Amino acid sequence: MRLSSTRKARAIVVALAAGSLVLTACGGNNGGGDGKDNSNTQDDAAAQSKPVEFGDAEASKGPAEPIKGAKKGGTIRVYQESDFTHLDPGQIYVSDAGQLSSLIHRGLTTYKQDDEGGLTVVGDLATDSGTTEDDGKSWKFTLKDGVKDSDGDEITSKDLRHTIERRYAKFQTEGPTFIQEWLSGSGTTYRKALPDGPYEGKHLPDSVLETPDDKTIIFKFKTARPDLPQALTMPGYAVVPEAKDTKEKYTNGPVALGPYKIKEFKRGKGMQLEKNEHWDADTDPMRHQFVDGWNITYNHSRADQTKRIMSDRGEAKDSIQLSGSVDTPQVKKVVEDPEISKRTIQGYQPYVWQLNMNMDRIKDKRVRDAITHALPQKAILRPDGGAYGGEPAGGLLAPTLPGYDKSFDPYDKLKKPNGDLEKAKELLKEAGKEGMTLVYGHAAEPHRTEQAVIVEKALEKAGFKVEKKDIPGSAWYETVGKVDNKLDIYMTGWGQDWPSATTVVPVLYHGGNIADGKSNYSHIDDKKVNEQIDKALEITDPEEAQKEWVKIHEYIVEEINPAAPMYYTKQLQVYGSNVGGARYGQVKSYIDLTRLYLKS
Amino acid sequence: MLRFLVRRVLGASVILLLISAVTFFLFFAAPGDPALLACGKNCTPDALTIIRENLGLDKSIPHQYWLFLSGIFTGRDFAIGHCDAPCLGVSFNDRTMVWDTIIDRLPVTVSLTVGGLIIFLTLGIGAGLLAAAKKGTMVDKAASSTSLVLSSLQIYFIGPVVLGAVVYSTGWLDAPQYNEFFDGPMAWAAGLLIPWVVMSLIFTAQYTRMTRAMMIEQLQEDHVRTARAKGMGSKYVFFRYAWRGAMVPIVTILGMDLGGMLGGAVVTEMTFGLAGIGRLAVDSVVNVDLPLTMGVMLVGATFILLFNILVDAAYAFIDPRVRLS
Repeated sequence: MRLSSTRKARAIVVALAAGSLVLTACGGNNGGGDGKDNSNTQDDAAAQSKPVEFGDAEASKGPAEPIKGAKKGGTIRVYQESDFTHLDPGQIYVSDAGQLSSLIHRGLTTYKQDDEGGLTVVGDLATDSGTTEDDGKSWKFTLKDGVKDSDGDEITSKDLRHTIERRYAKFQTEGPTFIQEWLSGSGTTYRKALPDGPYEGKHLPDSVLETPDDKTIIFKFKTARPDLPQALTMPGYAVVPEAKDTKEKYTNGPVALGPYKIKEFKRGKGMQLEKNEHWDADTDPMRHQFVDGWNITYNHSRADQTKRIMSDRGEAKDSIQLSGSVDTPQVKKVVEDPEISKRTIQGYQPYVWQLNMNMDRIKDKRVRDAITHALPQKAILRPDGGAYGGEPAGGLLAPTLPGYDKSFDPYDKLKKPNGDLEKAKELLKEAGKEGMTLVYGHAAEPHRTEQAVIVEKALEKAGFKVEKKDIPGSAWYETVGKVDNKLDIYMTGWGQDWPSATTVVPVLYHGGNIADGKSNYSHIDDKKVNEQIDKALEITDPEEAQKEWVKIHEYIVEEINPAAPMYYTKQLQVYGSNVGGARYGQVKSYIDLTRLYLKS
Repeated sequence: MLRFLVRRVLGASVILLLISAVTFFLFFAAPGDPALLACGKNCTPDALTIIRENLGLDKSIPHQYWLFLSGIFTGRDFAIGHCDAPCLGVSFNDRTMVWDTIIDRLPVTVSLTVGGLIIFLTLGIGAGLLAAAKKGTMVDKAASSTSLVLSSLQIYFIGPVVLGAVVYSTGWLDAPQYNEFFDGPMAWAAGLLIPWVVMSLIFTAQYTRMTRAMMIEQLQEDHVRTARAKGMGSKYVFFRYAWRGAMVPIVTILGMDLGGMLGGAVVTEMTFGLAGIGRLAVDSVVNVDLPLTMGVMLVGATFILLFNILVDAAYAFIDPRVRLS
C-alpha cells in the first residue's frame, strides 16, 4: 500500500495513504516512564516477524478469549482528525476507515492476535480459514450458523457472492482489487467479466465463483493463490448483504455485522455507535462488546487529541485516538511522564521509506551506492518524529514482514546512521561523476522540506550538486508516479497489505510495474529480478515463498540498489486512564478496538 | 430603493458568475488530480478513466461548467439520487450533496459569527466611545494601548494559549464544541464561549481603535462644534451628532468583516476544531474536491456581496446626505 507523503496528512490524502492491513508491533505498553528512549527496538520486531499461522475450525470459534478484569458498560470517547471518507467496505483501503471497520464490519476471515504478538488467520464468518485441495487454486469457505446483520437478517452464501461481485461495478474504485484480479484478470480487465457488477442480474460463472448451497462459497483461480485467506481479511472484502446494498449510497449508511452498528453519522462532525443486538459473540473469534457505545467526533487535530488525552480530565479519561498518533512536539512529554507513558501503545508500522533513484537517469550503480552511503538516516528521521516516529532502515523490507532480517545492512546504514561521506566520495570519484547534478523531488510540506535540506547538505558534502524541486503534497504521487517524471531522486513510503512480501516486492520492484500511476518508482527492470519474482509468486508453501522473497530482496538491495533504505515508521498513541484492555493491534497498526473496555 | 436593490443584485450576480467561472477553470489549472485521490492501490490509466467517468471529469471543462451552472437552476441527477435546485453538485470525496453539506455546516459558522459579533461590538464600540470621551486620560491610554496589543495578536497564537490555560492544564472549561442552539441555548453558548472570546479579543481591539479615532475626528467637525455652540448638552452632541457620523466607516468595516466571517472563519474554526464553512473550505481544497470548493466559494462570495449591498443600503439610514437613487 502506498503511504501518503506526509504523516500528518495521512488521514486526509485518503486514497494515497492506503494504510490498511499491517503486521506490527509489540503488545501493550512499552513506555517506561523513566525518561530513557523506550521506543521499541528491532528485538521487539523480531518477535513479530514470525510467519502467520492458519487456524482451523476450533481456532475460528467464538466467543473471543476473555479479558481479565474487563467490565461492561459505558461509552468510549474517540477524538479523530478527519471524517471516514467511506463506510462501504468495498471502498475502504485506508487506515482510519479500516480501523473503524473492525467494530462494524466482518468478512470471511480475520486475524486473531495472541498475547505474544503472533497472528493466526481464522474464520470470521467462515467456519475456518479456508480449505484447498489443489494447493491454492480453489478455496472453499463455509458460513457459520446464525450470523445475522444488524437488521436481524441471516447472512447466506448469496451475500458472500454479492460482496465479491459488486466489487466489479464501476462505482467501486477505492478498495483493494486483489481477489477480482485473481479471479478475472489483472489491471482493470477483471471489470469486463461483470461490467455492471451483480446489479443487472448477471453473475460470475460457477467456474470462477460457486455457491453450491446457502452456506458454501468456492473461489476458483487459474493459478494457485495461497494468500487468499489473508486477502479476505482486508476490510475491503467485508460482507455487504445483497438485500441491503444501496450501491453508491451504501457508503453513507451500511448495515453492520460486527458488535456495533451506526446510531448516528453526521458527515464532517461525528459518529455514534451503539451495540448491534444481532451480533452473536459465539460466532466471533476475536471481537468483544464490552462498552455500550462509541462517541466519535472529528476535527480534533493531533495536537488537540494528544493534549486532551494527556490532561486526562472528564470525558478524556474514557478516550482514545483511533488512527491519530501522538503529536510530535508532545512525544517527549508523553514518554517521559510516567503517568502518561503507561497510557500509551506503540509499535512498528509496516511502512518503509525509501529514496528512489530513478534508474532511467542514474544508470551507474556506483553513483546509486554513493547516494545511499551519503544519507544520514538518523537526521532525516528527526523531522518525522525521531526515535518514536521511526528507525533507520538497513534494507527495504519492514521489520513487520515475516522473514525480516535485522542484521541485513549492506550499506552500513544501521552501523553508520549518520552516513558515510568518505565512502560516498570514493564511489563517486570511482564512477567519475564528481559534481554530478541530482534533481531531487520532495513534497512541499514542512517536514518533507526539512528533510530535503538535510538530504541536500549531505549529498553536496559527498560531491553532488543538488537541484531541489518542491511538489505540492496533493500532486505528489501523481508526479513521481509518472514514468517520465524528470526527477533523479525522490522519497516514497510503502507498506504491506498483509504480512507477506507478495504485497511489497512485486509491486515496487518488478519491471512489469513501470507505467504511469504504477508503483515501481525507481524504474528497476532487471531480468533476473523479474524472473525470480514471477517464480516466487507461484510458490504455494508460505515458508518456502518467504525464503525466496528474502533472497530476491537481498539481491535487489545488494546488486542493484534501486532505492536507498531510509527508515521504518513507528506508531505511538495515547489513551485515557479509564480505558482498559488497550494493546497494539498488529494488524491495523493502531490501538486494538476489539477488546477495549472502561474500568468504571 | 428598489432600483438600487435591483441594480446591485444584478451586479452581484454577474460577479458571482465570474467568480464561479474563475474558480472552476483555475481548479483544472492547479496541480492535483481528484481522480487519482479516488484511485486505489496500483492505480492504472484504465482505472483512472473509470473514476473520471464516475466523477464526470471525462467531459470537456466548459461542458462540466455548463452542467454545474445549469444544475443550480434546474437540479441534476446523480448516481446517489436527484439533486434539487439549487444543486451545487455531489462531493468528489464523500459522495454527499454539496448543498446539504453547506446547510449542515452553516449553523456553526453563523453561531460563531453572531456570538462573536455581540461581544466584540459591545466591548469594542463601548471602549472606543469611552476612550474618545475621556481623550487623553488614563482611561483613554489604557484602552488605546490594550487595543494596540490585542489587535496585533493572531487567533492561531492566542487560541492555543487560551486552550492550554483554561482547558488542557486546568480543566476550568470544557474544550470548545458545537451544540445545536435548539437543543439547549446554554450548552450552545458554553461550547462556543472560548472561540467567541478569543475571536472577540482581536476584533474588539480593532473596533475600539476605529471607534475612538472616528469619534475624535467627528468631535472636531464643524457640525459638532456648531451643535455645542447652540448650547446642546454634551451627551446629546456626543451620541446624536458625533456618533452618527462615526458610524459610517464602522458599518462599512463591519459589513466586510461579517461577510468574511460568514463565508468561513477558517482560522478560528481550525484552531478550535469546529466544523463550519471555513473548515469545509480547507477540506475541499485538500481533497481536490471541485464541487465542494465551488459550493463553499459561492456561498462565501454571496455573503460578502450581500453584506456589501446591505452596508450601502444602511448608509442611507445613517447618513442623510446619502441617497440611494
